[in-house]
Amino acid sequence: MTEKPFGIGLDVGSTTTKGVIIDSDGSILATHLQSTGASAASAVAHVLGNLLSTSEKTRDECRIIGTGYGRNIVDMAHKTVTEITCHSVGVNTLNPDIRLLIDVGGQDSKVIRIGSNGRPEDFELNDKCSAGTGRFLEVMARVLEVSMDELGPLGLKSNSPCSISSTCTVFAESEVIGRIGSGDSPADIAAGVHQSMASKIGSLSKRVGVATPIGVTGGVALNPAFRHYLSDILKAELWVPKIPQLTGALGAAIIALQDAEV
Amino acid sequence: MSDEKPYRKLETQALLQQIAFRHGMEAMAASEEGNLAWVSSGFPVEIPVAMNVFPTYPEQSGAIIGATKIGPEVCGFAEDLGYSQELCSYARASIGSTDRPDDVAMGALPKPQAFLGCNNICGTILKWYDANSEQTGAPVFLLDTPPLEAEQKPHHRAYVKQGLERLIEFLGKTFNTTLEEDKFREVADLSSRAIKLWTQSLKACQNKPSPLNCADRFLTMAPVVSSRGMEHCTEFYEVLLAEVEDRVKQSIGAIREEKIRLLWDNIPPWFILRFFNQLAARGVVFPADTYTHAWSGAVEGTDTDSLLDGVVDIYSNVYLNKNLDAKVDKMCQLIKDFDLDGFVMFSVRSCKRYSLGQLVSKEIVTEKTGVPGVVIEGDMVDSRLFNEAQIQTRVDALLEMFV
Repeated sequence: MTEKPFGIGLDVGSTTTKGVIIDSDGSILATHLQSTGASAASAVAHVLGNLLSTSEKTRDECRIIGTGYGRNIVDMAHKTVTEITCHSVGVNTLNPDIRLLIDVGGQDSKVIRIGSNGRPEDFELNDKCSAGTGRFLEVMARVLEVSMDELGPLGLKSNSPCSISSTCTVFAESEVIGRIGSGDSPADIAAGVHQSMASKIGSLSKRVGVATPIGVTGGVALNPAFRHYLSDILKAELWVPKIPQLTGALGAAIIALQDAEV
Repeated sequence: MSDEKPYRKLETQALLQQIAFRHGMEAMAASEEGNLAWVSSGFPVEIPVAMNVFPTYPEQSGAIIGATKIGPEVCGFAEDLGYSQELCSYARASIGSTDRPDDVAMGALPKPQAFLGCNNICGTILKWYDANSEQTGAPVFLLDTPPLEAEQKPHHRAYVKQGLERLIEFLGKTFNTTLEEDKFREVADLSSRAIKLWTQSLKACQNKPSPLNCADRFLTMAPVVSSRGMEHCTEFYEVLLAEVEDRVKQSIGAIREEKIRLLWDNIPPWFILRFFNQLAARGVVFPADTYTHAWSGAVEGTDTDSLLDGVVDIYSNVYLNKNLDAKVDKMCQLIKDFDLDGFVMFSVRSCKRYSLGQLVSKEIVTEKTGVPGVVIEGDMVDSRLFNEAQIQTRVDALLEMFV
């Protein structure tokens, strides 16, 4: 029996901060997700406070792992682990068959090939460019005057997506504005936006090597048009967990308990 | 908790500083005497040295500008002249520091009487030296060594040898000098000995723990780049090898607790050599890298003609003048010989020749060796292109694979 029987994973992403607390059986006691906002530290404190009060546990009973791009500001963490390892472990717990994980978050996207031990074997990240991340969709939703929740369903209404050729968010935005000016329908434009994004993620996946079954996580996994076009490009079914944003935090919580047992 | 640093500083580093200082002073004197040439790192320097022309290196100056953290500022001087940020940062640092030498505390080189470039390391060198030539009025000599697809063909050798003959003629005219066979043999011999001693130090890193880390080699490679063929260079590598062998004998590692052994590919980010020391604190050592293993042979021969053949062979076959297969083979060989657990490929924005094909070679190297690797992006001088947080995530994720 470990002194700290509960594991907490805190995943500080660019858009949202996620938290999961589990018991020694791996059962989830509470989860919380909120916008990271301007202060990642206060988002972390708020998520942690929420997890502890919902599960009625104290911090002393928990081993905490920080992950995500803001992992180093989780100062109450016993350890930090990259989101790459945490996502692998999280997905492996939910669906041990998954061999390729595509995680599309607000600021970056990653493709991870998962070994049979549930750990990453190889990975690629898309960065220094917001194309292929949630931010790309946010920019396009704003131009099309729809909410993020509406963008995917709008894209699915079209059978003839516009071609959005640019892989750069800024140039693609100009291209979309040009399309609006030419009178293309919002649905065709939205479909083109998703197709362009899926194509970018598809290339990243092919760099790592497409292995099935494939899982998709991160906030963008909730977008049905993105899943539709990505599935089309990879010619494979995509598995998505119930709350895809929580996968990294879940992985971190599991690693917290594994570490405590060592 | 111990206050000890996670890495061990080489005693030879003090001598290195003396040599660097001496080289700088001699370059200034040579410039005043009308006897200085700026030379690219892969240039057959044995020939100008044998002809009493003193060499100095803009790439080393770029490294110093990077290490003293004034890269963005000095590159900015070249950008102010209209050069693109896409241009190699060594070239920008060289053009920028030539334009405003008084604003570059360390790293601005004294004015040369000629530029000697060889395109075995990159194609940019020609235009870069052309720009420097416009700034200073000194002429450029280009030694053309076409890239090697596979084995070097006889017509390829003959072509490069003609280039060397033209070089001797160019130096003769520009500096009013001749190539004497005895002197050439003596310089080639000193150069060969320095390279052999250096290679022995590199090879000693096959030992566990490795006696040298990446940063040690990046610093101690300076003389073999700048002073091949000079007596003090050979002496320096004797001292270095003695220290390395002593470390091996006593099982003293470059870092205090060696746990993970990695290969480094490409030029280092000079402005953040602490990157390697931070990893040392986590037990990560780099016993090998493709950068300091760029030389593999020595110039050997009995007379001018056979020595020139040796020069053709060595300088055509440098790492960057070969195709991707040769680079992949070299990396696989280093991973095997040095018993490495993985590799880090630094995709250097400036150096297209070095960085092109890394994504493909990463895949092939992993397939052939079974060890994982990661590509990180940045630059060797221009720190504006280096995102530390993103790089840390990639390297951390690689290290987590070894747990």
